[in-house]
Amino acid sequence: MASRPTVNVHATAGGPSSSSIPLPAVLTAPIRLDVVQQVHKSLAKNKRQAYAVSEKAGHQTSAESWGTGRAVARIPRVGGGGTHRSGQAAFGNMCRGGRMFAPTKTWRKWHVKVNQNQRRFAVVSALAASALPSLVLARGHRIEQIEEVPLVVDSAIESYAKTKEAVALLKDLNAYADVVKVSNSRKLRAGKGKLRNRRHRQRRGPLVVYNEDNGIVKAFRNLPGVELVNVRRLNLLQLAPGGHLGRFVIWTSGAFALLDEIFGTFDKASTFKKDYILPTAKIANPDVTRLINSDEIQSVVRPANAKHQKRPWTQHKNPLVNKGVLFRLNPYAKTLRRQELLKQERIAKKGAKKPKAPKAAGEAFLKTLFAP
Amino acid sequence: MSSDLQWLLLRKSNSFFVKRVPEGPVFSRESGNLTNLHSFKYSGLANQKTIDISESGNGIKITTRKQGASPIAVRKGLASSTIRNRSGGRRAAGIVSKLAKRGYRPDLRTAALARASAILASHQEKKPAPPKKVRGSKVVKA
Repeated sequence: MASRPTVNVHATAGGPSSSSIPLPAVLTAPIRLDVVQQVHKSLAKNKRQAYAVSEKAGHQTSAESWGTGRAVARIPRVGGGGTHRSGQAAFGNMCRGGRMFAPTKTWRKWHVKVNQNQRRFAVVSALAASALPSLVLARGHRIEQIEEVPLVVDSAIESYAKTKEAVALLKDLNAYADVVKVSNSRKLRAGKGKLRNRRHRQRRGPLVVYNEDNGIVKAFRNLPGVELVNVRRLNLLQLAPGGHLGRFVIWTSGAFALLDEIFGTFDKASTFKKDYILPTAKIANPDVTRLINSDEIQSVVRPANAKHQKRPWTQHKNPLVNKGVLFRLNPYAKTLRRQELLKQERIAKKGAKKPKAPKAAGEAFLKTLFAP
Repeated sequence: MSSDLQWLLLRKSNSFFVKRVPEGPVFSRESGNLTNLHSFKYSGLANQKTIDISESGNGIKITTRKQGASPIAVRKGLASSTIRNRSGGRRAAGIVSKLAKRGYRPDLRTAALARASAILASHQEKKPAPPKKVRGSKVVKA
């Protein structure tokens, strides 16, 4: 790997002047979209609550089949009289007032186990993606005006206690546009979720990752879309919401400096996760253009053929009929044909019947013929 | 990170993706995409070097990535110049070919010129339509 770039630490007003931190190894880890999506799909299921239809639904009647002979289907029918219900079909999933097909049960498998190493791989991938400006932009975060990605701010912001300070900081970082985007996106949710404490839906804003909470959580948490998380508890659902890579992350310098310890590097195990080292990429250089144009490849490939210009608007010749075209496509066809002709000739020569040489007539015959 | 890998990660879904017409072209509305087509060549996100040509208040803004800019830089990595509205397509051609000569995305020369020219053309005032000729019986009345 080439020399690791360093990331500038954005100074806060009144704090120490700006410095720089080397990029943690985790931010150069391989990005596997498929792993992230798969793990996200499973992890997202773990917050579900059990639901089911009533155990009794559709079975609270004493219906019995009428059997054959009454010119109606043999489905169970509600007995008695004096109400519309009597004589109506019951129980079946096709019946009005019947039980549903395959009634849902509370003992459905609601949670999905994901292997720890896979979960870690996904988090590491999502973190690496959050350090690429193009992927963060592609997720829809408004980061066009910020200085660089990853965005690291001095740890002094961890002791912010007022939202006013937080807003001032985001404006100073030119990151406030992302909060405004969230604010503008707030819409009434479609459907029943409105009644179930999920009244509005909105985009996700920046994720602020801190090392120590000295008030930072309370300062930021009321900003729309902004989420906060301790660097030791990074979570895939926050790093890649919806399974889409590239969450806009704002790091405090303390949290950023801790990343190498938490996730380890490519050759040093993590101190927080036992025996964990970062996954390595399958190929060292994923730059295909560079690979193709490398000396190693170019020295062994065959030189390119001369450009073959096909003339347009010409009549198509059928090679099965036109011998010239056939021989151009398949030069061996000429030999084949010649062989075939020679063979025919040989057979003809061998099998041909020799003309019978006329026998001279017998002496006795001639005598009789010319008899005087 | 290589552009090829970034393109693979962006290709299937991103926030700039516009897919309206079934079976139709797939567009992309990110800045730095000269044709607004969703393809690796024109992508303003995946490519390391991009040319962005957009309208600004007093002309056309051409934004490119600075030479030797760090890959992690966002705002700082961009350099921009402006063409005034009064200058024509020739000026845009000059700027674009200057970039191409520098070895900066020579493959985008025609696309860049086309976009610049289209923006310049949109600034020009439309000629007023000629007055309609009066025909038929209305000629006699007049």
